[in-house]
Amino acid sequence: MKYIRRNAVLIFGMFLLVILLFITFVGPYLPGIDQELEETQYIWSEERIPIPPPYEPNPEYLLGSDHSGRDLMSLIVIGAKETLLIVLFITLVRYLVAIPLSYLAHKEWLGIHLFLKWINGFLSYVPTIIMVILLAMLPPFLFNENRIYIMILIIALVEVGRAAESIKLDLDDTASKEYILSGIVAGASPFRIFRHYLLPFVYGKLIVYIVSDVGKVMFLVGQLAFIGVFISQEIIQIDFGQFQIRNTSISWPMLLADAHRDIRIAIWIPFWTAFAMTFTIFTFNVLAQGFQNLFKKKNTYI
Amino acid sequence: MKLAWQFIKQILIFSLIVCSFVLLLLLPREMEVTPFAPLQYEANFPFTLELYKETIDDFVTHIKEERGFGETSSGNNLLSEVERFFNRSLKVILPAFLLSMIVGTFLGTVQVYFRAHKRGKIMSFISWVFASIPDFFLFIAIQYMLIIFMRHGLPQFSLFGHNEWYSFIIPLISVMIYPVIHMAKFTVVSMENEMGQDYVRTVFSKGLTKFDAMKHMIWNCFSPIMNQSQMVMLYILSSLPIIERISSYNGAGYQLLVAILGNEDVRALSFMLPFLFLMFLVVLVTQFLRYWLVPKEVVGK
Repeated sequence: MKYIRRNAVLIFGMFLLVILLFITFVGPYLPGIDQELEETQYIWSEERIPIPPPYEPNPEYLLGSDHSGRDLMSLIVIGAKETLLIVLFITLVRYLVAIPLSYLAHKEWLGIHLFLKWINGFLSYVPTIIMVILLAMLPPFLFNENRIYIMILIIALVEVGRAAESIKLDLDDTASKEYILSGIVAGASPFRIFRHYLLPFVYGKLIVYIVSDVGKVMFLVGQLAFIGVFISQEIIQIDFGQFQIRNTSISWPMLLADAHRDIRIAIWIPFWTAFAMTFTIFTFNVLAQGFQNLFKKKNTYI
Repeated sequence: MKLAWQFIKQILIFSLIVCSFVLLLLLPREMEVTPFAPLQYEANFPFTLELYKETIDDFVTHIKEERGFGETSSGNNLLSEVERFFNRSLKVILPAFLLSMIVGTFLGTVQVYFRAHKRGKIMSFISWVFASIPDFFLFIAIQYMLIIFMRHGLPQFSLFGHNEWYSFIIPLISVMIYPVIHMAKFTVVSMENEMGQDYVRTVFSKGLTKFDAMKHMIWNCFSPIMNQSQMVMLYILSSLPIIERISSYNGAGYQLLVAILGNEDVRALSFMLPFLFLMFLVVLVTQFLRYWLVPKEVVGK
């Protein structure tokens, strides 16, 4: 009981995560979710007038419908899997690069720590989102068949410096402790020092960083969607030298494709999509805070 | 002397960043379309070093010839256009920045003061909730709420655009909320770091109140708190373009987006420069304030 009270935040976070996972994996098979995503051309009003979609939230469409008359709730539930996968994948790639990078920077190997400093200095002036747009709009990336992987790499790597820098600071901090010296005296190799002396004390913080980064990535992906930069998209030619972006996936960002217009005509589409994103961000933020409380021990006089 | 050196260093960093940004902006983005059959075209994206060099040369000559950024396609002076849009954005940026710094720090302090009470715990819970709300969701939620209220009798007013005197308020709130929460959280964390210090114990041992202890602590936290000003500005500038786009508040942030997405290098740069300069100003003022206001021995920490 005491354990539960002390880790209330973590348990609350886990609870939210379970809800999120339930919606993602079991949700599509629940009654009321239209797996076929059937399109509706029009519905008859009471005065026998055909009304075209989008429909406002009503008993038949709980959260409303999109422009082609598909049920918005079904779209969000079915799109959850792809969205979460992309977000998690970006975070994983980021930390797979950041962890070795932070160790090399900690060892001041080949001036990597200077590189990190420079890139973080740059990003403390130029907003990340501007960087991502600049890179994502480069033609070789824009028209690439593997655009989805390139976009994942871009988003992951743009912030890799920030992630690596915070791990590096933790490594620096841990490495200055005295027991590391005893390891060196005992003749442990650098790898052994890293694996058994440094890493175990950084694990906790690493988990906190990764979990809270999932929320940050979701945030960035949402912002990009509002601007019109998507992760999975296909470019088709419509006229001489004119190309149009066509949506090929049903992930959440795609529902925001016309958000700036929808906000005036069908505000429930961006609202509920953004709400789903917010719920995801909230879940991972609470989880991160829960983990942080778990690993934090501090003395205090006040 | 130390201040002068700091000043020069910041100017160097700033010019390096501007140069890097220009180089990034000038990466070749042109597309060559060649017809190879009736109604069939092939798009090519030459991406070579020579082309890159050429773009950079073009850019330099453009700047030299025009003695500035030149004119827009409609014949207006680009600089005066930037000025017009930027002034509109400043109406959001400046209040957002000042309010974030002041309100954020204040909220953080109050939260620390009540941390053992129920009130403090509720506050910290609310600050998590708000920290998880992305700016775009907040904006849409406010809009949706107002639309529903208007249906039920709230007097109608313009929700979008930039033509009314009050147009900047909803974008301001949406842009501000994240930096405010960031400042509040940061203040809490840096105050918590001070809690274990001996001087706090001394304050209590002399029979002074918690309020007195907090006065000492906030002064010692002043330097790290001031350091966050750059972060706060960065958050504001990051969400400004998106909020301006979805609220149709046609300011410099939105124009910057349009210019970047439309591959207009010079225009994009001319809209980006004021933002970079604003960041630079924030850095300088922060350094200056820290130098004059913060107890000297704390600066080195």
